[in-house]
Amino acid sequence: MSTLQFLADGFGIAFQWHNLLFAFVGVIIGTAVGVLPGIGPMSGVALLIPVTATITSGMPTSAAAASSIILLAGVYYGAMYGGSTTSILLNTPGESSSVVTTLDGYQMARQGRAGAALAISAIGSFCAGVISLIGLVLLAQPLSNVAIKFGPAEYFSLMLLGLAAVSGLAGKSMTKALMMTVFGLMLGTIGIDAVSGIARFTYNQPILFSGLEFLTIAVGLFALGEVFNTILERDKEDGAIAKINRILPTKQDMKDSAVPIVRGSLLGFFIGVLPGAGATLASFFSYITEKKFSKNPESFGKGNIAGVAGPESANNAASGGAMIPLLTLGIPGSGTTAILMGALIMYNVQPGPLLFDEHPDIAWGLIASMFIGNLMLLVLNMPLVRVFAKVIQTPKKYLLPIIIAISFFGVYAVQYTTFDLYLLLGCGVAGYLLSKNDYPVAPLVLALVLGPMIENNMRRALTISNGEFSIFFTKPLSLAFLIVAALWLLVPMLLKLKGRSVIVEDEG
Amino acid sequence: MWKKLTTVALASMLALSLAACSADESEGKAESTTSKYPESNITIVAPSGAGGGWDLTARAIAKSMSETKLIDKSVVVENKPGGGGAVYMAEFATKEIKNDYVLLVKSPPILINNNKAEGNSPYGYKDTTPLAQLTRDYGAIVVKADSEFKTLKDVLEAIKKDAKSVTLAGGSAPGSMDHLVGVLPAFEYGLDPKTVKYVSYDGGGEAVAALLGGNADVIATDASTIGAYMKSGDVRVLAVSASERLGGELTEVPTFKEEGIDAEFTIWRGIFGPKEMSETASDYWSEKLAEMVETDEWKAELEKNGWESEYRNADDFTTYLEEQDKVIVELLTALGMQK
Repeated sequence: MSTLQFLADGFGIAFQWHNLLFAFVGVIIGTAVGVLPGIGPMSGVALLIPVTATITSGMPTSAAAASSIILLAGVYYGAMYGGSTTSILLNTPGESSSVVTTLDGYQMARQGRAGAALAISAIGSFCAGVISLIGLVLLAQPLSNVAIKFGPAEYFSLMLLGLAAVSGLAGKSMTKALMMTVFGLMLGTIGIDAVSGIARFTYNQPILFSGLEFLTIAVGLFALGEVFNTILERDKEDGAIAKINRILPTKQDMKDSAVPIVRGSLLGFFIGVLPGAGATLASFFSYITEKKFSKNPESFGKGNIAGVAGPESANNAASGGAMIPLLTLGIPGSGTTAILMGALIMYNVQPGPLLFDEHPDIAWGLIASMFIGNLMLLVLNMPLVRVFAKVIQTPKKYLLPIIIAISFFGVYAVQYTTFDLYLLLGCGVAGYLLSKNDYPVAPLVLALVLGPMIENNMRRALTISNGEFSIFFTKPLSLAFLIVAALWLLVPMLLKLKGRSVIVEDEG
Repeated sequence: MWKKLTTVALASMLALSLAACSADESEGKAESTTSKYPESNITIVAPSGAGGGWDLTARAIAKSMSETKLIDKSVVVENKPGGGGAVYMAEFATKEIKNDYVLLVKSPPILINNNKAEGNSPYGYKDTTPLAQLTRDYGAIVVKADSEFKTLKDVLEAIKKDAKSVTLAGGSAPGSMDHLVGVLPAFEYGLDPKTVKYVSYDGGGEAVAALLGGNADVIATDASTIGAYMKSGDVRVLAVSASERLGGELTEVPTFKEEGIDAEFTIWRGIFGPKEMSETASDYWSEKLAEMVETDEWKAELEKNGWESEYRNADDFTTYLEEQDKVIVELLTALGMQK
């Protein structure tokens, strides 16, 4: 049978009325999980496994497995739709993959364009969902073969490229951005080293053994920092929020977003395929790329719609891409897919090379249901935009306590420790002081994500090569990434030497 | 200006009080566990990524317990990866010390991490309440299906010729279980185990990906988790560390002994409670686990995962751990890696 035939059979399964219902419930819960900070897709899916197991207990094993994985996957990609909501409205990222959305999304909301930002992220997510599914159908096998070829050297060079691109997140001063990058890298070294198992900078405090939680730091720096900022700089800020003129994006918005959505989707999909890279990285890469390709990069961070459309498409596409190594190799690429894999194993279905042969109904049923689920999400989310956009009109005196409460509950629900609450407070104060003095916090957050990955993969690669640094140059993919990284840094400098005006690298 | 300061003070008060009240909450929860155990959902932690041996064991327990209705509260599995299990061990032995609702699935690393010199974990089995041993598994030496290495001897000869030419990978840090399983044959073959090139990944799944992608020549992993990949024809298992041949997919695979290597390594897996677990809770679990291992659901799980059943109750398990602890110290000493 051809791929199309399999897909048609998959739709046959996905269109069974109970599976439509499962997909619908999945995406509704997913949207809620995404909107509520604290419950991420990972815990959302994990919490629902026992529930779906009970509901499907009367069905034959194979059908039960298909139905529950349809629901659970719905939660997974549904959460990616909802994740942007609090980032845009409250500057409070609910998931680590929507941290970067705060940069322009929140600025858009302050200019009265919250509706446009929310709508474009729903539209972008939908396009990304469809693009990544088409990729999943057509490219699953060849891509999984490329993904496993990705060794430590390739990962290292890719991450290094990400770090080189940090200039894209710089505000007025490159020097300050670099300082924040180094600070982020240093924070990333805290904890037990995964390569040797040795504790670093933990001062024998067990709470530090697992390192600092990325989400705590991001929420503190962005959300609480903004709260303190709003209170202290109130005189200037009063009345800064414009009235919402329209809910839906303008024609110009759509035009500006079309290319970033496509670029974000492709980028997100390919990064999602790599085990261990994930949606957070995809959204960062997309933002940086958009800024680099933009005709007026100085408008980023001030409410450029491309800065919302790109990353939101990317994180959604990444969740589709991450299904490839899971389904074809049995290798989970992220925490959430690991839990999905656990759910499949529970039904005695082993994801891996044999899945498409042994259980075509489950594999193709799932893929077909994801097309339907994405459509449901778009229909579901567009009316919600109207409701959510009103949130921004809430007076400050009510809004600020709500943001503080959401930040605290959100962080506590993820970490269950009071240490993280104090860390959150500390980061809030730091976030205020840093942004007051024009130190950009985004490079710090990016470095915190990339640092440990760069380090571990570099050490793995060097072990393989017996300490020869040439491994990074002799592997073609790795070399390609390094060249792009070098060009990224050098080209603007050369242009500057030639006297051309370059905005990004300007010394503040 | 005054008004501004008051607002800041109020906001900080609100924030601090939120921090404080959740502190009370978590402590209160830990202490109020006395009579009617269990009163809430129970978490079994697998201190690794999903798909590895600990993870599968934890999920098998959770599944059997809920299917047989032995425990009516839901049993949830959480993955807490890092440092070959040492990261979560520290949390378990300190933060969760009195929490009756968090259990841990562990295997020899609980002894190894506590005894090795580098990357030592200050916490060992003595910082837990051993509840039961449930299964045993063995280590396996695995290569890609199209590898030039046909037998374990081929690998060892290649290492002997040029140790730098062979990359051995595993899902845990140097000095931990995958590493020990991998270098044990080399040591017994008369090679210096320190020269064997070992790369650690975050969990067995990533190690398999490295093998399939050609980023590792040989991996050491659990015999039970490799079956599925062998069935699909992607990998070849060269030898297992059991005393006799295993069943299932691995019937054709020779033991270390058959390959002329006089060594064995048993990967037992058991479930632990926190050190200061209440007696009510530990008695409850001893009883439930003893019941569970007799059920058909549990036996089906064993069959499915290719594990061999080996049940020891809390007392026997503790004695066994004491013996094993000595064995591990001997092995590490021989490898020059002891504390």
